[in-house]
Amino acid sequence: MPDAVSVDGLEKTYRSGLFRPTTVHALQGVDLALEPGRVFGLLGPNGAGKTTLVKVLLGIVQASAGTATLFGTPVTDHQARQRVGYLPEKHTFPELLTARQMLDVYGQMGRVPAEHRATRIPDLLDKVGLSAQAERKIGTFSKGMLQRVGLAQALMNSPDLLFLDEPTDGVDPVGRRAIRDLLVWLRDEGTTIFINSHLLSEVEKVCGEVAIMNEGQLVKQGAISELTAVEREYRLVCTALPDDLPEAVHQRITPLDNETAPEGLRSWRVASDTRTDLNALIDTLRAHDVEIEAIDPVRRSLEDYFIDVVSPPAA
Amino acid sequence: MQPTLGLIYLTFRELWAKKVVLGLFLISSLLLVMVAFALNLDVVDGSLAGLRLFGQAPGTMEGLSLEKLVFGVEAAVAGAAYWLGILLALFATAPLIVSMLERGHIDLLLSKPMSRSTLFLSHVAGVWAAVAVLTVYLLGGVWAIMSIKTGVWNGSFLISIGLVVVMFGVMYSTVALMGVWTESTALALIVSYGLIFASLVLAGHEAIVAELGLVGSTAFNVLYHILPNFAEVTTMVANLSRAEPVSSWYPLTSSVLFGLVAYALATWQFVRRDF
Repeated sequence: MPDAVSVDGLEKTYRSGLFRPTTVHALQGVDLALEPGRVFGLLGPNGAGKTTLVKVLLGIVQASAGTATLFGTPVTDHQARQRVGYLPEKHTFPELLTARQMLDVYGQMGRVPAEHRATRIPDLLDKVGLSAQAERKIGTFSKGMLQRVGLAQALMNSPDLLFLDEPTDGVDPVGRRAIRDLLVWLRDEGTTIFINSHLLSEVEKVCGEVAIMNEGQLVKQGAISELTAVEREYRLVCTALPDDLPEAVHQRITPLDNETAPEGLRSWRVASDTRTDLNALIDTLRAHDVEIEAIDPVRRSLEDYFIDVVSPPAA
Repeated sequence: MQPTLGLIYLTFRELWAKKVVLGLFLISSLLLVMVAFALNLDVVDGSLAGLRLFGQAPGTMEGLSLEKLVFGVEAAVAGAAYWLGILLALFATAPLIVSMLERGHIDLLLSKPMSRSTLFLSHVAGVWAAVAVLTVYLLGGVWAIMSIKTGVWNGSFLISIGLVVVMFGVMYSTVALMGVWTESTALALIVSYGLIFASLVLAGHEAIVAELGLVGSTAFNVLYHILPNFAEVTTMVANLSRAEPVSSWYPLTSSVLFGLVAYALATWQFVRRDF
């Protein structure tokens, strides 16, 4: 089965100005492959090229060089968008239409047959919590409601690939939770989701893998769990350490004072160069009657990792 | 076909929401009511025996035949629909192109599975269809009421309905081209109204060319042949309304060619540009 998204050596250069032409290299040789069924987050600071990449994939902007396909069909062919849903960051829906009419029109443009639209519209309005607003005009909707009806619009054609640009932007916590639950349900249904967002905590909750863009290039890509893992550092939860432990062990274990642990237990940070070394340490603890509750790799937050990647190194 | 129908419907709804289109509809309805109820004709054996407008009889009816009256009313309505109707329709529809290109709206439209040319031409078709409906409502209504009241069925008047719609389409091509190119409604309207004004000058090309030198006359002739002959088509509309023969269809042909070229350029620009 072809990748849901495949990008190879993609470049985009914007040119403007007639007498003093300026060029902006928005994409500089981007390579990306996204397997079907994944939830993918594209991160990056403002001006990194994220929106340009999404626009190229949707045929809104034309690439200067390189190739891009959706499910094996080149993005330059409008058939590539047959199985795609999209919610832009700054959307403008026809304010004079009701929510039901708007979904009907966009469904029609997405080639959804009339009989499917008739059942799909109430179903989607229910899923985004807007059933009671079906006959209300879009012009009277709040920002959060617009975002939710926009998401319903993106789902009208039951897409296999969903592009969401800042999907929870301007949505209150309850609405954000509803959107997140919907995305999790879509993920479980096998929909590939491509999220472009600044809200790293939201991305962390929904996405399995992320890529970080900076200055038109993809600088990091991988599973969140792999990217945020701190190399060879572990969090250990165990009973109190006896005083007669060898000094070498004490040196490699430091208390995690700001972490709470169940009663009678404490949390420690353990540094270990190799797997053998870690196992030897555990053996020593067990030999001194220390009872281990849990041991797992130390992780940073996605935000800490993101800032490390995109911030220039200190002089 | 589905995306096209969806876009046409959307364009209809957007136009209907504009007050100018609603105003045009109300004015048309008022005119139809006037023709239906305020214009009282007494027809005896196929001849005009009496005429009252708002209950008042005109000073004299000498030399006024029933046919002349019908043709006169129809020509007046067609002339008004041609000039005033097209100018107002351009004013009402011009913002639609630019609003379609707004960020957040165009992104959504382009993400749908249809080609860019289909998207653009469907939008244009929606505008044409809306203007055609209004024109048929006004001119068709006047034609039907006058024909039923008098028994004079002026078939050639119906062709003028087509002319009004086609010439709106020709002038809208300029709005579409300038809209896609500059994203400025004001500039699009200035250029299309400018071409209508220029057509008034070009209509007198035979007399003007005779007064010019070789370079001037050549330039003037080129402009006459490449720009839309909006003013000259007025004569055709009037002739058809009066059931008179049209001496030359050239002004219409050259205008339609201009429109086709402008639409082709607008589509090309829409297909190639980034949004």
